[in-house]
Amino acid sequence: MWIEGYKPIELLLILTITTFIYIGVNYLLQKIGKRIPTFPQAILIWLGTYFIFKYVLTPPIPSALMYTYMGLVTLVVFLFISSTEKGWTEFKRPILNTVMAVTPIYKGVRTVSFVVLPLLIGYGTYDFNVPKFDEPIELRTVHPAPPASVTVRGTNFTLQTARNPYRVDEKGDYLPVGKEDKYFKQNPFSPDAKGYLLYVREGGSIFFQNCHFCHGDNLNGRGMFAFAFNPIPANFSDPGTIAQLQETFVFWRISKGGPGLPREGFPWASAMPPWEEHLTTDEIWKVNMFEYWHTEFFPRTWD
Amino acid sequence: MKAISKRIRAWSLVSLGAVVTMLVMSLAVPFFTAPVMADEATKAATEAAPKVEMAKDIYFKTEGPVSGNPAPELKATDYPSYNLPYPLSENRILIWSIAQQHLYFGSFVLAVPIFCMIIELVGLLTKDPVMSKKYDDLAHLLVKISLTAYSVTAILGGLLLFSFITLYPDFFKYISSLFRPVMHIYALLFLAESGTLYLYYYGWDRMTHGFAKWVHACMGVLLNVFGSVLMMLANSWASFMMSPAGVDEKGRYLGNIWAILHNALWNPLNVHRIIGNMVFGGGIVAAYAAYKFLAAKTLEEKAYYDWMGYIAMFMAVGSLIPLPFAGYWLMREVYGFRQQMGITLMGGLLAWLFIIQAVLIGALFFSTNYYLFNGMERMRGAEKYQKYIKYILFLTTAAFLVWLTPHTLVMRPAELKAIGGQQHPVIGNFGVMSAKNGAVNTMIMTTIISFLLYQRSNKIVVVKWEAWGNAALMAMFTVALVNNWWLAIYGYFIPANVRVGLSVPQVIGTLTTLFIGSAINIAMMRGSKLTGPIEWGKISVRSQYALFSLAVSFTWLMALMGYIRSSVRLFWHVMEVFRDNSPWAFTHTIGFAANMMSVNVMAFWLFVLFVFWLGELTSKHAVAEARKEAARPAMAGGSE
Repeated sequence: MWIEGYKPIELLLILTITTFIYIGVNYLLQKIGKRIPTFPQAILIWLGTYFIFKYVLTPPIPSALMYTYMGLVTLVVFLFISSTEKGWTEFKRPILNTVMAVTPIYKGVRTVSFVVLPLLIGYGTYDFNVPKFDEPIELRTVHPAPPASVTVRGTNFTLQTARNPYRVDEKGDYLPVGKEDKYFKQNPFSPDAKGYLLYVREGGSIFFQNCHFCHGDNLNGRGMFAFAFNPIPANFSDPGTIAQLQETFVFWRISKGGPGLPREGFPWASAMPPWEEHLTTDEIWKVNMFEYWHTEFFPRTWD
Repeated sequence: MKAISKRIRAWSLVSLGAVVTMLVMSLAVPFFTAPVMADEATKAATEAAPKVEMAKDIYFKTEGPVSGNPAPELKATDYPSYNLPYPLSENRILIWSIAQQHLYFGSFVLAVPIFCMIIELVGLLTKDPVMSKKYDDLAHLLVKISLTAYSVTAILGGLLLFSFITLYPDFFKYISSLFRPVMHIYALLFLAESGTLYLYYYGWDRMTHGFAKWVHACMGVLLNVFGSVLMMLANSWASFMMSPAGVDEKGRYLGNIWAILHNALWNPLNVHRIIGNMVFGGGIVAAYAAYKFLAAKTLEEKAYYDWMGYIAMFMAVGSLIPLPFAGYWLMREVYGFRQQMGITLMGGLLAWLFIIQAVLIGALFFSTNYYLFNGMERMRGAEKYQKYIKYILFLTTAAFLVWLTPHTLVMRPAELKAIGGQQHPVIGNFGVMSAKNGAVNTMIMTTIISFLLYQRSNKIVVVKWEAWGNAALMAMFTVALVNNWWLAIYGYFIPANVRVGLSVPQVIGTLTTLFIGSAINIAMMRGSKLTGPIEWGKISVRSQYALFSLAVSFTWLMALMGYIRSSVRLFWHVMEVFRDNSPWAFTHTIGFAANMMSVNVMAFWLFVLFVFWLGELTSKHAVAEARKEAARPAMAGGSE
């Protein structure tokens, strides 16, 4: 159902189409004189949205986000029904009828409500307070702030200003970020590859010797060892990872690995080795280039 | 009568002259100071050439003579503190609370004169004498409220100053050694602002007509010039702490005060704060009106405060629209200054607070739209537009869903495994800036649509080109929305520096719908038939709670973003120059910080209630008169 590369748009389209179907059905029912009253409408909207977020949206979203989304839906349903006096009065009517027990049926509903609601609230309170053995919710920062500078194999790099020395064109001139797209579809394994492509090729060799076991041969974080870890290795083909970062950030991450993460990045939850112990700084810069070339993303710059 | 008029005229000219002189003098000081200090430095350099040490500016990279001491290297024992129970034992908690209250009141007293100036000018330009007086009285009432707040601001400013001197003596000594001339100018400007404010207020009833009234309106402009410059000077202290300039890497002053003032974040912060103050001030006045509306006993009273709440809301939301763009510029400059700082804010340690910010901003847009929907109810003929509410709400909700989805998800390890990585393949893409830009522009445009519908609610369009006008509006909004969404998607496929630039066509699209859309709408309303007057006072009670929500969200947002801006320095008093070695130089947990913000927000609202109550004691008579006139029905739209 979910098409790779279009998933976020798909979700928004599903929500849009569902909304228009709902409005259309409601309109037709109104035309034939069988309009759904506001109170059940509100419940229907709420449940319909819950169904989409819970069962249509896969993989499942974390519970914290689910609460946030449903909180938003609750608010919006309230705004919708109370944006006109007519809607608000109509919405309140069954509630007031129940509280005042205007008919025997409402009286029955009131009795049930007055028994069930305190019980539900009591259970909710109990459930909230009872000690649990679930894993705690973790706020792991995916992209923690880098230090101002790092020392890798005896050389100090200021991350704000450092440049990848291998980001050069065929003539050896520095290739500004954004200009490398002409190389994206070219073959770095061509015998006459020079400059940028040559270093991409070298970076690729280093990647396949060292990194692809975890990060995968498509750089999507699904290498052969990937699922031995939780979280699995970073997916470079996702626009939310290296595409959002400066080249020097990625250089820092490769050099220092998991143990070099600040505390908010959960250094204990990363199996990434500090590659400065195995690769030279030149090799790290070249791997860096390969990752961007393969994914066709551009590193972040602020010029 | 003529003699009185002449006297008023002469008095007006004298007042205006005095104020202008004060303004020119205070503005001239920086121009004198910088060269004088530079001259002194050059002279010193010439006379004792071998002894003058030159050093490089850490930001501008220019050379300058070392003219000050290095930033002190403090020990934990250099921070005198009170032996109070935790958390009051931390000096920074005391400073935090006092600075927050000072900033709240400072913002309010800077914002209210802006509104007074605008409302007074609107009153002057309004041809209808009854409406003109109504606007004038409203502006007068607002300035009266702000007078007490002005005193509270000054008292809190004094308290803050003493707190710095006593709790952070070395820090304050260092900062004041750098900003010495600026602090004196600040004090002079404060004097000038106070003088102008009192002239403005006490001259109100004397300068009521003709030339004198225009002079009075000009004084309103001057008051705002003083206030804005005053705020900019204070901003330079905060922005210097974040992005120092004009000093070398040891923190030594290099003889150029302009370099210190004109640091990387000064101007973005200035713009953001001026706009933010206006939003905040409008919110507070709207809350005041809502409170008075709910407490009103007669329809007349309700009508007046309903109208006042609408005007305040209109001004707050009018200012809110450019605020995200100013914030975007500020963050761009933060990233440009230090990648580390930008990531700490939006991707790292403080990123979750940005999600709370997103929720509060969403609350602002929802509150505004909800208020307008409810506002339609007081106009007969609005029913034909109410059917669009569900579409507006849907678009706003979808945009908000994207807007609040975090990049860093909070989850259990089992949930992390189920997702198959840290990035969710569907909603994970909503967490980055490209999506957020699309979302916020959509929310702004839906709010503009709500407002245009509100303007039309009690009118029947009669212009011959009605169909063309509607088609133009539809086409403009469709093109702007599609362009906005397309650019948001396209942003994923291009370099970040180009992506940042995409925000410009997005903003242009949004502002086009605002200005051109409003212009077309107003032109279409010409000669329109009224289906009935706006029945001021007949708005729902729920709408007034929306105004409260608007105001409280603003105050919470200010507390939140103030904390974020300050704590991004982490363990530095002055970023990378002057280290914070106090025992409490760590970042608080998100929970603690959120509680502190809420305590500050509650304390502020208690203070505000007190100020309103004081204002009440003196303004009962004036309000009663104004209320009688306000009960007169009027047309819908921004001009009324």
